[in-house]
Amino acid sequence: MSQWWPLYGLKKKLTERKEYTSSVKLRLNTTGVFKRSLFVYIIDVGSSNALNFEISALEAPQYNIHRFGIFLTDSPRHADVLLILGHPVKKMIDPLRETILQLPKPFYTITIDDNPHQPDSVDYPELPNHIAALTGVPSPSQILGLLLDIAKTKRKES
Amino acid sequence: MKVLIGVIATNKSEQLFILDNGQPVLVQANGDNLEEKFGNYPILKQHPLKINDEPMKGPGVFRFRYGPVTAGVREAGCFHLYTYGEKILRATIDISWKQREIAKAMQDKSPETALMMAERVCSNFAISHSVAFGRAVEMALDAVPSLPTKNWRTLLIESERIYNHLYVIYKLASAAAQKVLAAHVSALFEEALRLNENLTGSRYLMGINNIGRLNRMPTVTDIQKIAHGYRELAKKFTELYKHSLKNYNYLDRLHSAGTLTPAQADKLGLTGPSLRACGVMDDLNDATEHLISLPVITQKEGDALARMEVRAEEIVNSCRYLVDHLRASDSWNEAGKNDTEFAKTGGTGYVVVNSPSGALGYYVEVKESKMQRVEIFTPSYPGMHAVSHALEGLIFTDFPFVFESFGVHFADAAS
Repeated sequence: MSQWWPLYGLKKKLTERKEYTSSVKLRLNTTGVFKRSLFVYIIDVGSSNALNFEISALEAPQYNIHRFGIFLTDSPRHADVLLILGHPVKKMIDPLRETILQLPKPFYTITIDDNPHQPDSVDYPELPNHIAALTGVPSPSQILGLLLDIAKTKRKES
Repeated sequence: MKVLIGVIATNKSEQLFILDNGQPVLVQANGDNLEEKFGNYPILKQHPLKINDEPMKGPGVFRFRYGPVTAGVREAGCFHLYTYGEKILRATIDISWKQREIAKAMQDKSPETALMMAERVCSNFAISHSVAFGRAVEMALDAVPSLPTKNWRTLLIESERIYNHLYVIYKLASAAAQKVLAAHVSALFEEALRLNENLTGSRYLMGINNIGRLNRMPTVTDIQKIAHGYRELAKKFTELYKHSLKNYNYLDRLHSAGTLTPAQADKLGLTGPSLRACGVMDDLNDATEHLISLPVITQKEGDALARMEVRAEEIVNSCRYLVDHLRASDSWNEAGKNDTEFAKTGGTGYVVVNSPSGALGYYVEVKESKMQRVEIFTPSYPGMHAVSHALEGLIFTDFPFVFESFGVHFADAAS
């Protein structure tokens, strides 16, 4: 076993070579603006946490989203896409609105509603440029396929 | 060992939900020095949604709000950090941003519908919530599930433990800027989720458990392949872990970060790997019907490193446990039916399960086959109290090590 981290795992080919498809119909037309890179900001408005775990799984080497130019950003100011996780709770509506105001144009919003029948819940506020709405807990492959559709990037390794 | 899991208020009196030597017990509160007997009694009775909410004043001290929308802590939760600069003097944690009142919403629902809601309290603890709720209802309705159901539930809880612990170690490695380690551990985390999907059809083990039975038995044909997958996962993780323990930079960042003493942990009602990392050998394993007893892993230091070490050993033990019992599982499916008869339509039930982050308790009252009352006692609630206390006196750069090492979640704490 190698003692030096940079060499460790060099022979392990973890990144998948497969086509990532999405069955989600996009609500808006896309442009080629995000073809080279797509920066995504994540906001949790009330999810049951599975979606947070799926986003962490999306950052795993198997998916290697950076090879497609897809990055998760730490600030909505640098984001092209706002990925909204979970069915909203009332208290998170205002923070969601404030976050949307920080996004520079052009941008898209995507919602993933993991619990559409959540009792005593509120609806999403009006979302500008709402390009896709998913329900349930989509797998990282499905989320990646959707982001590739939005970025109009080639599905296979570029 | 007695741990107070929850306080159940009724119209006339109060009942204490206690874990006594690994067995859940309901005791009438008689008012005799409860705060001395159980250090976490005031916390559980008042159940504040703003944890450790005492403003701090002093020369140059200001309050720094972190959340509810942050990239560092993705969940909707808020930290109010009192500081004069580099050091965190006090950390108030506001868990109300994720409150969905699921327990209240379960009232008047059928047990099957309420079970699906229990899975969504905190989906990365889905099977723990589901088994705890299911067993509490079975206790209320005097139902005894079949042996295959009990055995599979035990295995699925261990599957859940594996991926949750891998997630914690992945987050710790990321926080310590150990990118190679983090990448490899996250690859194992994804592998564990795929094994879950192969086993049950769901990456988060959702939709498989039901009241008195499983919705479907895992298919025997794939079992050998899945058992092999867990064996390979244990082997790869062991290699990575041994490698990481030689990285003094990584160990140094976790060592002495967020230290809790056994007395502090006991006062907060902490359970699970975080308590065992303080050197306390708990009996939570006895709360779940195990086929064989899993070893109880402890460390002594009570810091982030100790919490990581406990989890690392538990991953390997759980993988070995799964490998051994998955291979024997084809004999279970022949041993008994997957159906249970319910002797009653109403009653009271209370169960504690050993979830990945500690003791998870459910108290249910069922009347005429509808849920009348549900109380949920999650490990993340005392865990958040522990995070708040462990952060005091640390510098900001230690924040992620402390928070991630406890393995707590706002969705679980604010149920």
